[in-house]
Amino acid sequence: MDEPELIRAAQRGDQRAFEQLVRLYDQNVLRLAMNLLRSPEDANDIYQEAFLRVYKNLHTFRFDCSFHTWLYRIVTNLCLDALRKRRVRREEDTVVETSEGFLDRMDTVEESRAHGDPQRQLMSGQLRVRIRQVLDGLTPRERAVFEMRHYQGLRLRAIGDMLGTSEEAAKNCLFRATQKMRAALGDFV
Amino acid sequence: MKCEDSRKLLPLFLYSELSFEEEDRLEAHLDECDACRAALARERALFKSLDAAEMLPSVELLADCRAQLRARLSGVAPEHAGFWDKIRAGFTINFHFAPGLTQIAGALAMLALGFFGAHMTPASFPGSFHPAALVDPGSSRVRYVEPMGSGRVQIVVDETTQRTLSGTLEDQSIQRLLLTAAKDPSDAGLRVESVNLLKNQPQSAEVRSALLDVVQHDPNAGVRLKALDGLKDFANDPETRKTLAKVLLKDECPGVRTQVIDLLIQHHADSADSMVGVLQEVMGKEQNGYIRMRCQRALHDMNASAETY
Repeated sequence: MDEPELIRAAQRGDQRAFEQLVRLYDQNVLRLAMNLLRSPEDANDIYQEAFLRVYKNLHTFRFDCSFHTWLYRIVTNLCLDALRKRRVRREEDTVVETSEGFLDRMDTVEESRAHGDPQRQLMSGQLRVRIRQVLDGLTPRERAVFEMRHYQGLRLRAIGDMLGTSEEAAKNCLFRATQKMRAALGDFV
Repeated sequence: MKCEDSRKLLPLFLYSELSFEEEDRLEAHLDECDACRAALARERALFKSLDAAEMLPSVELLADCRAQLRARLSGVAPEHAGFWDKIRAGFTINFHFAPGLTQIAGALAMLALGFFGAHMTPASFPGSFHPAALVDPGSSRVRYVEPMGSGRVQIVVDETTQRTLSGTLEDQSIQRLLLTAAKDPSDAGLRVESVNLLKNQPQSAEVRSALLDVVQHDPNAGVRLKALDGLKDFANDPETRKTLAKVLLKDECPGVRTQVIDLLIQHHADSADSMVGVLQEVMGKEQNGYIRMRCQRALHDMNASAETY
């Protein structure tokens, strides 16, 4: 079954079709949530909530945009809400200073294949810590646009659709994000 | 174009998000301006650093998320007799028809299977007729695998139509499908779930050989670790040890190398001489402090030097 057929079957209540639909997108959804929230528990929460919302509201999907856009609209809204709440709560940073220098607690949950990347291995711990601090300093919108463009490879037009804004506004967000990163990381690179 | 304007466009240029005219003007400026070309090179280096900072969720997290979602979905929509409910109710094979006909079709399918199973099962297959025997791993794609309890597993297979099969791990057809799924290059989650099931059958030579293959060649360290787990009880088997030694010297993931050392050390008394050579070679090239320490300790326990002479 192709995607529209899967969607129609899932709308008729075919749970297996829904599972297949989930599996078309869930790895990227989890990756986006993980990168935005930096916590496997929070990423799991977003994953559950997003797909439950999709499941409950799939009957309202009318094919007037792509399913991908519709799904990501739900996911990014959930992530942005979580990021905004987190800003208010000022949650503890994942980067902690130990007797052996800076340590990112999230290193322990990343997929171990990343260790095989020679560039990753060579990257100084200091730079990685700095990158994460800079990402944390971005506004939730800048962060979302950057993650979606840089790591998910989505076009700005699609990102604008997903965030309910224009391509131009997404472009400005991306510009500000890269400017902040260049300002903060210029000395390291 | 002024340098100041050019610098502003560099990130969008690298993301290929400039209009045709903007890109044209920028390229013309870059052709003439050494400073902006250098700035572009710095911007590229920054992008590469950012690439390396990406976080990837583990295959275990993905599997947990999927399992939790499946459980939650069954609670959200009880009005639909869902797929997993049917499985739990004891269906072992489903065909896709219009939803209203599913029950009748399922009953007919079961009846047909019973009839043909009784009349056409070859004498060389005593006992029950396995629907899984109808599947050709070469022309089917395994979509999901899942343990069901009581030693049974269920497998969802895509063919021209999708079917659900169930059976024990001893069932050759089930095993063949799992072996195929364990090599599916497009889905690391499926591979890790398949290997997780297969590792309960390491006494089968075919399964063990597949696990050894996964340990050496799977691109995902999470899958390799699962396969290593299945080889625990065979760490004294010469062929397994030979493969593990190769993995220890080549694998890029420190977690995998650490687990290999654990397995090799468990039975080092059986092949102490060859182990000493391998561990000394590791000591010569290993960058990871923890792994070096483990090797050093193992060599010390074997009364061997940490260096080669």
